Amino acid sequence: MDISLLAQFTVNGLMLGMMYALVAVGFTLFFGVLDIIVFSHGDVVMVGAFAALTGHYWLTGIYPDMSMWVELFFISCISIITVAAFGMIMAKTMILRLRSASPLNTLLATMMLGTVLREAVRLFFPGGSNPKPFPVLLPDISASFGDFTLRFDSVILFVLGALLIVSLHLLITKTKLGMAIRAVAQDEETARLMGVNFTLIVLITFAIGSAVAAFAGVMNGLYYNEINFGMGLLLGAIGFSAAIIGGLGNIYGAILGGFLFAGLQTLGAVAMPFASAYKDVFAFGVVILIMAWKPTGLIAEKTSERV
Amino acid sequence: MQRALSIRNVYTAYGKADVLSGVDIEILPKKITCLLGSNGAGKSTLIRSILGLTPPREGEIIFEGLPISGHPTHSVVAKGIACIPEGRRVFPKMTVKDNLLMGAYLESSEKKIKMNMGKVFEIFPRLEERQEQLAGTMSGGEQAMVSIGRGLMSSPKLLIIDEPSLGLSPALVSENFRIIRKINDAGTAVFLVEQNVRQTLAISHYGYVLSQGRVTAQGTAEELKTSDEVQQAYFG
Repeated sequence: MDISLLAQFTVNGLMLGMMYALVAVGFTLFFGVLDIIVFSHGDVVMVGAFAALTGHYWLTGIYPDMSMWVELFFISCISIITVAAFGMIMAKTMILRLRSASPLNTLLATMMLGTVLREAVRLFFPGGSNPKPFPVLLPDISASFGDFTLRFDSVILFVLGALLIVSLHLLITKTKLGMAIRAVAQDEETARLMGVNFTLIVLITFAIGSAVAAFAGVMNGLYYNEINFGMGLLLGAIGFSAAIIGGLGNIYGAILGGFLFAGLQTLGAVAMPFASAYKDVFAFGVVILIMAWKPTGLIAEKTSERV
Repeated sequence: MQRALSIRNVYTAYGKADVLSGVDIEILPKKITCLLGSNGAGKSTLIRSILGLTPPREGEIIFEGLPISGHPTHSVVAKGIACIPEGRRVFPKMTVKDNLLMGAYLESSEKKIKMNMGKVFEIFPRLEERQEQLAGTMSGGEQAMVSIGRGLMSSPKLLIIDEPSLGLSPALVSENFRIIRKINDAGTAVFLVEQNVRQTLAISHYGYVLSQGRVTAQGTAEELKTSDEVQQAYFG
């Protein structure tokens, strides 16, 4: 195959992988601290994108001449803060309350919450049932090498995503908060005996996971220049799969899983150029095979550190 | 008489069934107070009640003159009570050092943390050698060291130790009891919950016997050694 085409596929795959990794990290964090699956997480990504869009409408209404960078900064902050707060409220009012019931109840409740979020945006966001254009907030510069075009905005998004993952890694491994999150993930009751405020740590974990999802939503909007109320459905399924194949509860596994899934999709598109619409079918099919081969995930729990 | 912790008329239930029915226990400062009892007597429930993991439905628990019953676990711990839980419960995927640091989670002074860690390493030199090892990969005896060391990291006023002899070889059990004695000599009040009657009474000052959720005997260690209750229950 043509080298420039290969480069193009690789870059696109890396971009997708970063987005999936950011979503998968949330699934794995929540599973880590509470042993539950928060099925609405994909739709939270969508809410993050729409929160940013709302911020865009609001800010450009007040300051029409705002520079791209300033606006990007502010709408990202608006999205991240709103969604982090939403995550905490969801944890406090719903997920912590469901703790005494079976984890299946949480799965079902969050699945319904996802539907509520989707439908709420569709019904109440102005023109919410149609795809909405997302503002272009990154310079439209690109470098061409033969047939291969490297978009500058993709590079920026990728770097920002990578920085976010590195900060998350440092937070979990190097800070006292991170140590408390790891302690709760390994043994909730003993963590409490050490003086960890369990409820607070759960709320903070949900704020962090949701904030990362919000960023993934903004990234998605900037990359595709379009968002829609249903975008979280597939993103959620992919993020969940990525977390599973990486080994649920393991952050690095989730990141690996995200890139792996994007790699599979890209491979599917390359290998079957006649039927690239089937790339998701191919990728999910391979995920099923991986699950059969390594039921506890690619990074086995034994050798890896959970959360 | 001065007290470190008073448990007054405590009833604790799981669901509707009372596991503790009116327990009164006084834990003395700077002494080792022990609680003896067979499986299912309610020993672990009593510890859970003190620590706020299973709050009592009735009765009072008072630590240094202030009520703590019904308080969340982290605020009970913040008052100066530490626990070495049954079965050691080390954080398996953390290093020995991180396990110890978790013990000092509520301690903000770096200097104090360092000092306490130094003390722990003095008692257990092996932990200093193994600082970077994941606690889950250690032997049972070594994990017991981690768990005890972790309990000392907050320099607690009261240390609750739940069945330290469980699952350890006789040699290690003796070693652990010797260390508990040493911890107490340094001024920490100890509440020792055990099934191992002989060795427990050998190091304790005062003791209680719990049976079916009630205190059935109490007295100094000497008194308990000769009491009919204990004789019948444990020595046949």
